[in-house]
Amino acid sequence: MSGGDPGAAGLVVFRDVHKAFDGKPVLRGMDLAVGQGEILFIIGTSGVGKSVTIKHLVGFLRIDRGEIWFDGRRVDQLDEKGFYAVRRRVGMVFQNATLFDSMTLAENVALPLRKHKRLRPTAALAQAMGRLEQVYLTGFADRYPAELSDGMRKRAAIARTLTMDPEVVLFDEPTTDLDPVNARRIDRLIRELSRDLGVTSIVVSHDLTAIFTIADRVAFLYQGRVHALGTPDELRRSPDPVVQQFIGGHATGPMETPGF
Amino acid sequence: MIGERTITQVGARALAVSREIGGITILFGQILRALLPPRLDGRELIKNLHKMGNRSVPIVALTAFFAGGLMVVQSAPFVQRFEATSLAGWAAGYAVLREIGPILIALMFSGRVGANNTAELGTMTVTEQLDGLRALAIDPIQYLIVPRVLAMMVMLVCLTVIGDLVALLGAAAVAKAVLGIEWGIMYASFTENLTPQDFLHGVYKSCAFGLSIAVTSCYFGVTVRGGAVGVGRAVNAAVVAAAVSVMLLDFFLTYLDV
Repeated sequence: MSGGDPGAAGLVVFRDVHKAFDGKPVLRGMDLAVGQGEILFIIGTSGVGKSVTIKHLVGFLRIDRGEIWFDGRRVDQLDEKGFYAVRRRVGMVFQNATLFDSMTLAENVALPLRKHKRLRPTAALAQAMGRLEQVYLTGFADRYPAELSDGMRKRAAIARTLTMDPEVVLFDEPTTDLDPVNARRIDRLIRELSRDLGVTSIVVSHDLTAIFTIADRVAFLYQGRVHALGTPDELRRSPDPVVQQFIGGHATGPMETPGF
Repeated sequence: MIGERTITQVGARALAVSREIGGITILFGQILRALLPPRLDGRELIKNLHKMGNRSVPIVALTAFFAGGLMVVQSAPFVQRFEATSLAGWAAGYAVLREIGPILIALMFSGRVGANNTAELGTMTVTEQLDGLRALAIDPIQYLIVPRVLAMMVMLVCLTVIGDLVALLGAAAVAKAVLGIEWGIMYASFTENLTPQDFLHGVYKSCAFGLSIAVTSCYFGVTVRGGAVGVGRAVNAAVVAAAVSVMLLDFFLTYLDV
């Protein structure tokens, strides 16, 4: 991945990215390229830097060294204001949904429409209902986030992100803490986004069912770098003992898990 | 070694206070920058005006009524001794309009509205709702903070004006009940001895108090770390910082205006 035109390498490109917290390195020269319309899963043990990686793309964290490119433009050096332009094209769905407590689901989803598309409140709410329908939540539009299940909140958060018509959506553990039925609904939604709208999805997850069902490619993060990269089948057939230990969920093996 | 430890602790505390003053100053700068050009979210502003202002009226009115009455009770022995009933209104009114009204209502406002604001923003911070806004390319300073700061300034001034009037009413009512001073005499005492400057002195101080309470409460809210415990600590720090800043501002503004 060194050298060459990063724009040609993919829509999103991480190049030799380094990041440390309080002197402890998390990312140590990570390289990764994500293609247009692709569903790429980033997997790895807790604390290995999966969420850290995607937060860099939208400027929630700043890299110590390296480069991050989006659509042929280097973004890691942008300031907070500069990142707003990136965030209009790269949506992020957080692990905790991050809906606003004081607003109903419809108001939550309508907010970006009011702010960015300059819609009047009634028009924004009407469009928000359409987005909620997309995630099967129209019957809950007047409810507050605290009144809903985790799965509903996550689907509403996805609907809110989609109002921005993003080209890339970053999902931070979208199915964690969900029951299998709700988890599969989220999977289907991510698949539909890619298939129907050509949206690129970068998904941080531990959910092996999701990985082997909807991922186009999987990046296995280990010791601060992409240790293995390939299709789910390639990963499953990988002879690498570390990869096999992770996929098999074995407590013992060659994998180093600091702090455990 | 105790001396060394004490110096270390004092130094650390001084650094922490400096960091907080610096942070509050930076936030104030960001608020000013977000106002250029002014692009306010009208819904947020109206919501906050209602929440912070309207709902504070009963408690402010109650406090102000008794504060005004208290001024008369305190001055009653002197008024009776010198039979200076015509000055009872001046004594109470002067103290209320210039000092007791703005200070008492600002501290009340800080405890009720400022603490609530810190807790709300703090909870939003620890539950990543502020990052959620940033992810939607919405600037939290512009969308959340600026309407709150404006609402607090406007509403503290309004509450101070209402509180002043209620306090004068309280003073007149207590004067009638305790000293038997007629309403007309108190009214004349107010109008003949108090000047618009006395009233405006309190009003412009309340504007400064509102700004100070707003910025400190927002700062401690958006810088919360450490979950629910952190929110509790932040509310505590915000109320203390607001009280200190109100007293310091009061001293300097009064000193400059007298």
